[in-house]
Amino acid sequence: MNTPARAITVGLVACRTCGLTLQRAPGSSAAPTVCSRCATTMGDRIVRSSERTLAWLIAGVILYLPANLMPVMHVSGIGGGQDSTILSGVLSFWKAGDWDLALLIFTASVAVPGTKFLALGFLLWTVYRESSWARRQRTVLYRLVEIIGYWSMLDVVVVALTAALLRFKTLGTAEPRLGIVFFCGVVVATMMAAFSFDPRLIWDMGAGDGR
Amino acid sequence: MYGSAMLSGANDTIICPHCDVLHRAVDLSRHEVAACIACGRVLARHRSLSIDQLLALTVAAAVLFLVANSYPLMTVEVHGMQTEATIWDAARLMLHGWTAWPAAVLALTMFILPMLQIALLLWILAFARVGRRAPGIRVLLVALHRSRPWSMTEVFLLGALVAVVRLSSWVHVTPGVGIWALASLTILLTILSMVEPQFWWTLMQART
Repeated sequence: MNTPARAITVGLVACRTCGLTLQRAPGSSAAPTVCSRCATTMGDRIVRSSERTLAWLIAGVILYLPANLMPVMHVSGIGGGQDSTILSGVLSFWKAGDWDLALLIFTASVAVPGTKFLALGFLLWTVYRESSWARRQRTVLYRLVEIIGYWSMLDVVVVALTAALLRFKTLGTAEPRLGIVFFCGVVVATMMAAFSFDPRLIWDMGAGDGR
Repeated sequence: MYGSAMLSGANDTIICPHCDVLHRAVDLSRHEVAACIACGRVLARHRSLSIDQLLALTVAAAVLFLVANSYPLMTVEVHGMQTEATIWDAARLMLHGWTAWPAAVLALTMFILPMLQIALLLWILAFARVGRRAPGIRVLLVALHRSRPWSMTEVFLLGALVAVVRLSSWVHVTPGVGIWALASLTILLTILSMVEPQFWWTLMQART
């Protein structure tokens, strides 16, 4: 089987917005220009993709610490006030016997961001190393990161709804706390990191090594 | 610099957005899916829904969006006192101090962008149904494309369900009409999102 032809080697490029196949004018270099169908600016690859992904990833990791250490919600009512972090929320579900909910929140709030850091970090590292190893599997890993990303917003929704509903003054109130601000920042930063990463880089490096 | 495809048949090519491998576009029959030979990315799907059907689904989604946002998702009762909340309330009540940031993100991803998506589809499909190109279609399709990953109705649904269970351990909770409308809306939006993005761009070729 022949090595499949890549667009970049024959002077073609796909618009990142609308997917139209465009041809580079003969003799010109890969300068960014405008798509003839959707009029968005485009180039061969996302400009400074690795650097931007790394920047968002670092921002996400930094925000991840206060997001998990600081309380995301304060519940008060009978029996005094109580701060809860994401992990203490998971634990209280677990202790109450709702292991399925505990697992759901743990997955969405802790495991998903963690997986994204590891996966994107790994992808950046292998692209930096110009690795030609397991290209297809690494592309699938990228798609996984892209798909799971926004489910982390789950806890922000739960906190917002709980706070919107529990407002009974002395009988019981719930208020959002600063942790949720950082947590929301983690979700936005990791989503931006995923969209900044150009998976075509996985296939660009060491393309001449015979696979 | 890039010109529009001048190679003969370049319009019949699909370039995989994930690995840049060149493919020739083929007509797909029912239930067929075209995937990239190198990385496995889905490149095209057979579109089984006609423009009429897509428009009908979008109108239904618009109605459900209205219902999901007009009626409370759930009602909480403590000693005869009641509170209720809609999607908008969830964002609005956090809109002070530092929590205004997550509140703004919530308002955008759970309310404004889903609404924008439905409105854009309605506009584009209403014109497409009578064989015309919707005014401003290019800008609108770019907006549709950009806002898609940030539109998170399904996440709100799951979050609302978790909130129901969590609150029920403290207080008496009754799920409201809003949550059922939200669940139905999620199904419709999922069906609509399964239409391959390329299809929407072909609507630009209709006469003005």
